[in-house]
Amino acid sequence: MHQLKASGKSPSPTGSFIAGMSWRDYAPLFLFAFLVKLFLIPSYRSTDFEVHRNWLAITHNLPSAKWYYENTSEWTLDYPPFFAWFEWILSHPAQLFDAKMLEIDNLQYASSGTVLFQRLSVMASEMVFFAGALRIVQHVRDRRHRLIFLGIIFWSPGLLFVDHIHFQYNGFLYGIQLFSISAMLQNQPIIGAILFATILNFKHIYLYQAPAYFIYLLRSYCFRADRFSFPNFLLLGAATIGVFTASFGPFIAHIPQIIARLFPFKRGLCHAYWAPNFWALYAFGDRVLIHVARIIGLSAGVETASLTRGLVGDTVFGFLPDIKPVHTLLLTVLSQVPTLWKLWSDPTPARFIDSLILCGFGSFLFGWHVHEKAILLVLIPLSLLVRKSPEYARIFYVLACTGYYSLFPLLFRPAETVIKTITLVAFALFGHHFLAMLHSVHGKSSSDFQVLPWERNYLQGLIPLFLYTELIHPVFLGPDKFQFLPLMLTSIYCSVGILYGWVILYQLGIS
Amino acid sequence: MISSPGKSPSKSTRSSPPPDLGITSHWYTLLLESKGGHLALFSTYLFTIFIKWCVSLNGYSGQGVPPLYGDFEAQRHWLELTVILPREKWYRYDLQYWGLDYPLITAYHSWVMGIIARCINPEWVALDTSRGYESDGLTVFMRATALVTEYALYVPAVVFFANRWIGYAEFVPKNVLILLILLQPALIIIDHGHFQYNSAMLGFTVWTIMCLIRGKYLLGSIMFCLALNYKQMALFYALPVFWFLLGRCFIEKGGFRLLIKIACTVVATFAIIFALYSTSLPDVLQVFKRVFPVERGLYEDKVANVWCAISVVIKLRQMFDLQTLVYVSILATLLSVLPSGINLFLSPTPKRLVYALLNSSLGFFLFAFQVHEKSILLPLLPATLLLLDEPLWSVWFNNVAMFSMFPLLKRDQLVLPYVLLLLLWNWFASFSIRQASKNAKIVVLLSYMPILLVHTLEATVPPPAKFPDIYTMASVGISTGLFLVFLVYFNYRQFTLSDSSIPSINNKLKRT
Repeated sequence: MHQLKASGKSPSPTGSFIAGMSWRDYAPLFLFAFLVKLFLIPSYRSTDFEVHRNWLAITHNLPSAKWYYENTSEWTLDYPPFFAWFEWILSHPAQLFDAKMLEIDNLQYASSGTVLFQRLSVMASEMVFFAGALRIVQHVRDRRHRLIFLGIIFWSPGLLFVDHIHFQYNGFLYGIQLFSISAMLQNQPIIGAILFATILNFKHIYLYQAPAYFIYLLRSYCFRADRFSFPNFLLLGAATIGVFTASFGPFIAHIPQIIARLFPFKRGLCHAYWAPNFWALYAFGDRVLIHVARIIGLSAGVETASLTRGLVGDTVFGFLPDIKPVHTLLLTVLSQVPTLWKLWSDPTPARFIDSLILCGFGSFLFGWHVHEKAILLVLIPLSLLVRKSPEYARIFYVLACTGYYSLFPLLFRPAETVIKTITLVAFALFGHHFLAMLHSVHGKSSSDFQVLPWERNYLQGLIPLFLYTELIHPVFLGPDKFQFLPLMLTSIYCSVGILYGWVILYQLGIS
Repeated sequence: MISSPGKSPSKSTRSSPPPDLGITSHWYTLLLESKGGHLALFSTYLFTIFIKWCVSLNGYSGQGVPPLYGDFEAQRHWLELTVILPREKWYRYDLQYWGLDYPLITAYHSWVMGIIARCINPEWVALDTSRGYESDGLTVFMRATALVTEYALYVPAVVFFANRWIGYAEFVPKNVLILLILLQPALIIIDHGHFQYNSAMLGFTVWTIMCLIRGKYLLGSIMFCLALNYKQMALFYALPVFWFLLGRCFIEKGGFRLLIKIACTVVATFAIIFALYSTSLPDVLQVFKRVFPVERGLYEDKVANVWCAISVVIKLRQMFDLQTLVYVSILATLLSVLPSGINLFLSPTPKRLVYALLNSSLGFFLFAFQVHEKSILLPLLPATLLLLDEPLWSVWFNNVAMFSMFPLLKRDQLVLPYVLLLLLWNWFASFSIRQASKNAKIVVLLSYMPILLVHTLEATVPPPAKFPDIYTMASVGISTGLFLVFLVYFNYRQFTLSDSSIPSINNKLKRT
């Protein structure tokens, strides 16, 4: 019918540096994602784009001793030293694209060369994430399952939203984390510890996961046959301290200044858009109580700065007790104790990953001033467990759909609505299809992967929520009227699903 | 191990393995074998909408360039004209500022979109005061109308066409063909980058082809009238449609009655379209005057067309008066399309129809009077429909056509999507070159060398002051030369088609 010759040649496995996989298999996965991301170059960029441009300029022009003092731009350097060095390295190729982006007072500069360079630097650094994902999936025997697994990890809609549209460099950090996890799984704790200490010194948000690393390494490496092994402890300590010395050593005189930059506790409990966590429900409960009190004539006595007005200051509640950072810390630690206890009593690599996820999850739910983006801290490691059992796949699916949906307010322009919607719909549809395929039983038509009826209903509820917040509200009420309402609805709805996912995941992780 | 693909009807009775159509065929095979056949078309839609929307995040023609702006403003202005003014003024109001010069269906389409625009934000279409209006909201709205038009009109026609052309049972090639047609770079970058509604006219054309190859001649004639009345450029296709119908009338039983019926249908369709507008003769004549502005010149801007290309050597415009040139170009055009037309008349089969549409529109593009560079989209449509029949040539033609529009795209700041769309499409269609013979590969790759050279020089060396248009003219010269080669080749292919090629008319669909 048409003149295509059937070429019988099957791709031969050549040039494989990852065991059992040929580049012909996995290169298309990377290239496809790469091309799609290139198409997103002109899309919306948040202020984080300017933040990173400013850091390029700071590290390029100033001696390292002044990096953490420079404050021409309001977006001062507030990541640990490794990240500063990373920007310093990037600033060299940046000159080839547009040297003007490296001027410290050239604020808000975004020439096409600058945009191209910064976007490309995110994509290039993300190759680490791809390599890490390859390492994780390499032990999967079946070729097709391996590729699907790789796709589920690598094609994370969250990273697409946060790194390639909103603009940040999370991909390569998660890549290093995947290498660290892989080392832990292969019983190379020192390498795992060094890698984790490294990402901590890139971005301190990973502190949230530190308890799991600490407990697991202490128990499984420093205690051998229930006896404390001092040499091992020394070795581990030396490795970790070595990384921190490499990072903070050159800045020894400026450590107080760096700490002040890294941990600005002047910010409020919740962000302008409430991250869908426990505090969103708490704040919502407070609102409801205030209104109830008004209706029944009780004076709440406080007409305070509303959480929802976008002020990033102290949060004062009208009815419920005020929350101080120490309370959030207490709750976070409390939420982590059971899983850490379990990890201590049964220190297996599988439990370690469970614990890692639950530690990150606890911090996301109960932490102080948590960003919605921090949900990646849960979802990326959780994506490694989709093959473990149908239950894990199911809870990953529910949490990922909800968690990625909760990132929608991050990309608020109408122009990106189509993009974020298509991405999430594609994830929901094909994620479901391929998760079912991963858990299909040979010779049976149905799969062990089943989303429970109420979970399905909950996820379908995202559709009317989307229609209201993204279409009906902005078109009929205008984008400026009652601006808080769509944000609050999204945050409340998503926090319910995320808390539910946490409970289920905790059950799975503890049992 | 081929399992039944869910809802999509498939008779997996192939004995030989399907041809390897590259990366995209692996995706559809994976879906088919994991019982996800019903998701295939959905994945195509999601991906293509995603890509088109990404392209639409880039600039559009005339963005921020007063006083006249560009095609985007023209289209917006027509929403304003049609929704605010009484009908008799549509083709008369302030003609100097983007006066309406497309036929009536375009006007009706603008009117409907204008009503919606007025509901959302009346400022977008306020008379006169909205000129040059630019805002994020308006851009999203206009971009969305282009996308909706395409997916409502063009895309279903393409899907039906692929099902008919490849056959329902050939699950993988069919889906690959649909994907590649929908990712055709030139149409995407003009409609969703530069900004126009070409997919509407092309959509009507694909519907015409669909109807004609299924033997529904009357419906096909109506569809073609709609295409003509959306954009007069559809005239490029008129001769093959005419020859095909005439040829069928000599073959089918009751041919003479059919001919009368077709003629009446065409007259009636035109009459209805115009009657909806106005019944007064001056109004109708004014539409024609606007739609066919002969006084504008032999060619517009720099276009990869024979007249523009030879103007470098021979200054035709100075040697002859306008009237002579009109006659010369009409004569040349007719001569270039006549052989393929007569061939189609003598043997009106579906495959020959598509080839003849290609040959005719390419002939018109190269030799006709007053051609736009964007009109290359017309020959590109049948060429892309033939992608699995002529993989090498179809992809080659598409690439050269993109290149021929580069000066326009550069002006619109569309260089990034230009590169990306070409990369994406050539990757997905790389089987075309992989499966070609060694000589063909060498010829095609060699032909890309001057193109790459022009791009490299243009990016690095500013044009000499004496010849500011040198790169544009180089692009015109290269493209015209290659287009002439394509014209000869596709004519040759049309004449040597074996008549046994399927699909044929009256071959009842296998679905039932």
